[in-house]
Amino acid sequence: MTKIDTSMRPVQGAGLGFRRELIGALQQGVPDDICFFEIAPENWAGMGGRSARDLRAFTERFPFVCHGLSLSLGGSGPLNEELVRRTRDFMREHGIGLFTEHLSWCADDRHLYDLLPLPMTEEAVRWTAERIARVQDMLGMRIGVENASTYIAPPGAEMTEPEFIRAVVEQADCLLHLDVNNLYVNSQNFGYNPHATLQQLPLERTCYVHVAGHYVEPDGLVIDTHGSAVIDPVWQLLQAAYRYIGREVPTCLERDFNIPDLQTLTHEVAHIGHLQREATGMDHRRTA
Amino acid sequence: MQAFQQFQHDMAQHLRDPHHTRRPVGVPQRRMAVYNELLFNNICGFVDSCFPVSRQQLGEARWRRLCRTFYRDWPLHTPWFREIPREFVRYLSEGRIAQPLPRWLPDLARYEWAELAVDVMAVTVPAHDAQGDMMQRPVLLNPARMDVVSLWPVHRIGAQWQPRQPQPTFLVVFRDAQLGVQFSEINAVTARLLALLETGLTGQQALAQLAHDMAHPDPPALQSFGEQLLVSLRAQGVLLGTLK
Repeated sequence: MTKIDTSMRPVQGAGLGFRRELIGALQQGVPDDICFFEIAPENWAGMGGRSARDLRAFTERFPFVCHGLSLSLGGSGPLNEELVRRTRDFMREHGIGLFTEHLSWCADDRHLYDLLPLPMTEEAVRWTAERIARVQDMLGMRIGVENASTYIAPPGAEMTEPEFIRAVVEQADCLLHLDVNNLYVNSQNFGYNPHATLQQLPLERTCYVHVAGHYVEPDGLVIDTHGSAVIDPVWQLLQAAYRYIGREVPTCLERDFNIPDLQTLTHEVAHIGHLQREATGMDHRRTA
Repeated sequence: MQAFQQFQHDMAQHLRDPHHTRRPVGVPQRRMAVYNELLFNNICGFVDSCFPVSRQQLGEARWRRLCRTFYRDWPLHTPWFREIPREFVRYLSEGRIAQPLPRWLPDLARYEWAELAVDVMAVTVPAHDAQGDMMQRPVLLNPARMDVVSLWPVHRIGAQWQPRQPQPTFLVVFRDAQLGVQFSEINAVTARLLALLETGLTGQQALAQLAHDMAHPDPPALQSFGEQLLVSLRAQGVLLGTLK
């Protein structure tokens, strides 16, 4: 299959998580506010049939970002190099130039299929940074590593979360994928000020931003579901992040459950674009 | 093992088997319960969506127990979410499962999985002539295809009916030209014919071999009947034509 040349279309502006549920609506027309899409390679690489045909029709026309779920950067089992290679091939096939993963783990020698928190220790920093560096060598590019949402603070922490994140990205010499909803979720679950923590993150390395909604349990515990609308305090964090970062950063709206119609999602994507224009004066809407 | 990996080990053990292992040290019960629920619901989501008939046949409690032992016991190495159902099918056929299950359940699950597997199967279609003479040239079978061979008529199992007696069943699950998934029930002779064609024989050669294997009393009649069968299988999309 011919590779897609995307040298002329960098990922910028506001984007949306690409989901099968939305394909029908997107085929009718992609709203101008949506500048790019994001996909998990674990859900799309190596597929044939209808899914492959539908995806191809969009990657030919729009920039995409790959956001991994299964690489288990902090996991104890061997790094899955086959997954890295297939992700690399998939990115080349579709002309995708940015890959991000979570600062977490999801497998030992077997997969657990969800993101789990890392003990924030020097050993974990070294272990994870080495694996990230290996992924970057294999992909031939720097990757973004995302601050993850957690519900527990693993015992034995030798540093704070922003210190841990900074140590990993600096040792690995990778980029930061900032998730402002995850920052908010953790701040609520562990009782700290998200704005103060935001400023301690290595924001100078930010390559990509996520924003999403979450769910609050009756006892106040906040669960990172990506299943509802983005709330104001998270929008405010995004606004603050743009101010501190001080330059244009592509930002994606994640929505994985209770998926509303495209119009409703587009309102939220448009709001990202609005905040970006407010912060940097740059307008990436396709009619702009 | 480094200290942080001890925690990961304890957490993973507990997530796979929360009822028989201790919670990792330093993790509050309420918060651990969140992870137990999230991760088990997640794996159940992948399994449930692929096997609605199997689930309905077992009923909720037995189905959940099966999902739990699958997550606990089966070596889940694949990082690809769409392969979790394939692993579930393997677990049903090859795993050691204490829970008594209907004898036909592994085959029913394989049949249900075939729809998903064929829908997303990545295949390269060899150069072929869709109108070629299938009697004279090697025949191309649709590569986006799975053959489900079972002792049980798994395609007929539903809320109102379960098989009591074995009944050998041959099903072809394949992707049509519009990329939709189709199901076709064939008989033992057609299944044998497809297997012969897959080795690269022409229609004529395959039918001659079949006549010989069956000790058919009238091989020319089988040739003529077989030719019509090939044309019909091509019209359905099970065969794509002749190899170039």
